[in-house]
Amino acid sequence: MRTDTRTEDLLRELAPRVLGTLIRRHGQFDACEDAVQEALLAAALQWAEEGVPDGPRSWLLTVASRRLVDEWRSESARRRREETAAELELSGQGQPSDQDDTLTLLFLCCHPSLSVPSQLALTLRAVGGLTTAEIAKAFLVPEATMAQRISRAKQRIKSTGMRFDLPPEPERGDRLRVVLHVLYLVFNEGYTTSSGPALHRADLTTEAIRLARMLHQLMPGEGEVVGLLALMLLTDARRAARTNADGSLVPLAEQQRNLWNMAQIAEGVALLTRTLGTPPIGPYQLQAAIAAVHDEAPNAQETDWPQILALYEVLERVSPGPVVTLNRAVAVAMVNGPRAGLAVLGTLDTDDRMAHTHRLEAVRGHLLELVGDVVAARKSYQRAARMTASIPEQRYLALRAARLG
Amino acid sequence: MKYMIMVFGDQSGLDGKSKEWIMEMMEFMNKVNEDLTTAGELVDAQGLADPSQAKTVRIKGGIPVATDGPFAESKESLAGYWVVDVDGQARAIEIASRVVGFTREPIEVRQIMDAPPEM
Repeated sequence: MRTDTRTEDLLRELAPRVLGTLIRRHGQFDACEDAVQEALLAAALQWAEEGVPDGPRSWLLTVASRRLVDEWRSESARRRREETAAELELSGQGQPSDQDDTLTLLFLCCHPSLSVPSQLALTLRAVGGLTTAEIAKAFLVPEATMAQRISRAKQRIKSTGMRFDLPPEPERGDRLRVVLHVLYLVFNEGYTTSSGPALHRADLTTEAIRLARMLHQLMPGEGEVVGLLALMLLTDARRAARTNADGSLVPLAEQQRNLWNMAQIAEGVALLTRTLGTPPIGPYQLQAAIAAVHDEAPNAQETDWPQILALYEVLERVSPGPVVTLNRAVAVAMVNGPRAGLAVLGTLDTDDRMAHTHRLEAVRGHLLELVGDVVAARKSYQRAARMTASIPEQRYLALRAARLG
Repeated sequence: MKYMIMVFGDQSGLDGKSKEWIMEMMEFMNKVNEDLTTAGELVDAQGLADPSQAKTVRIKGGIPVATDGPFAESKESLAGYWVVDVDGQARAIEIASRVVGFTREPIEVRQIMDAPPEM
């Protein structure tokens, strides 16, 4: 079965809207979700043969509802009562837009009582319309494992009696932060894999951007949604330059900038320009602003480091953490010299949160190299190479060390 | 028949090597994986994070306790493996020999136990 990309895009766009409507009418997240997956499959087959119907959304809704009812009919009396109840509910409902349903669905999949891996998997399946097999492949786990993870997440939604409603206003900010974090993790999972040999799993970055775009349409006034979308676009714009043909990493300063995706950079910058004027400015907007300064430099030497340093200082106030400090140390080094940067790094040595990441030693190696302390730099690179769980990063760091040898 | 082809050692194996050797090694490993995939023999290939990042869990005073390490002789630590599905042991040894020819480090070839035959 192979549908053309346009049909596939349309199906993926409609999936959460149809599912949201169905859940609002019938409750029962898990049964509705199965029915929508079946309807998507039927559509992929039939639309490829006969073309896309006039009302694709109602086509999907009809087929999915029929599946749902078939499923209920195939069971006996207990189920029959539920069916009657469901039909009553159906006729009595007002009609919120299916846009709201999509948003509600996204909040439900990113519910804080679900584990992070469950949030990711469920969001990709229910909101992203990906199949279990596709999600399993993206996360490099067996399909049976992913199927189980999704089914347990659905079970949890059922057992905790979560309601299919938008979170009430006082909670909405916190709940949105979880949603943004889930999309951010999906993007990151695709962009830098935490383990394994492949550096990009492009499908996940593309999907994260698509979902962030969708969220931005649903909540156009949210600055941090804009910030996250811009951050993804501005980071992903460098994808083609980030690795050599053999899969090895190319650091930002050495990337061929003509390989960067200029259209994506322009889009990210435009999004950001529109939102930065309106406070409050959150961490995603600030990170996007930093990415934009890098992306707009014609070459590494002309990067506006004082501007980047100023942004990191604000970011550290808004959202303090050792990783932000680490990045600020690099900016300090570029503005005030590598020794000043090393001094900032020194403040992280006693931070337990940095004890198990290779990045502190990798940055230290780089700054020591700039100072000219080749022996210490090599040691730091070697230590960093020992600590990373990413093969491309390990090889990159081993190469940096070997180059100084 | 499935075999696990295991490589031992740790990051220190890379520490003394030249830039050229490391680049050649990367290319070589990519080629091995590519060839095994093309031949329809590759089941899985994984590298493990350095043993210095490992934990050992053992019973201490009656309860399981995790400690850093193993910190055993690094040469004894599993660094990575291939799982291949091949005709027989001879082919598994052939694959291992190709890798040993490059890395000069010993490799262990173990058959993966199977379900009993149907009849």
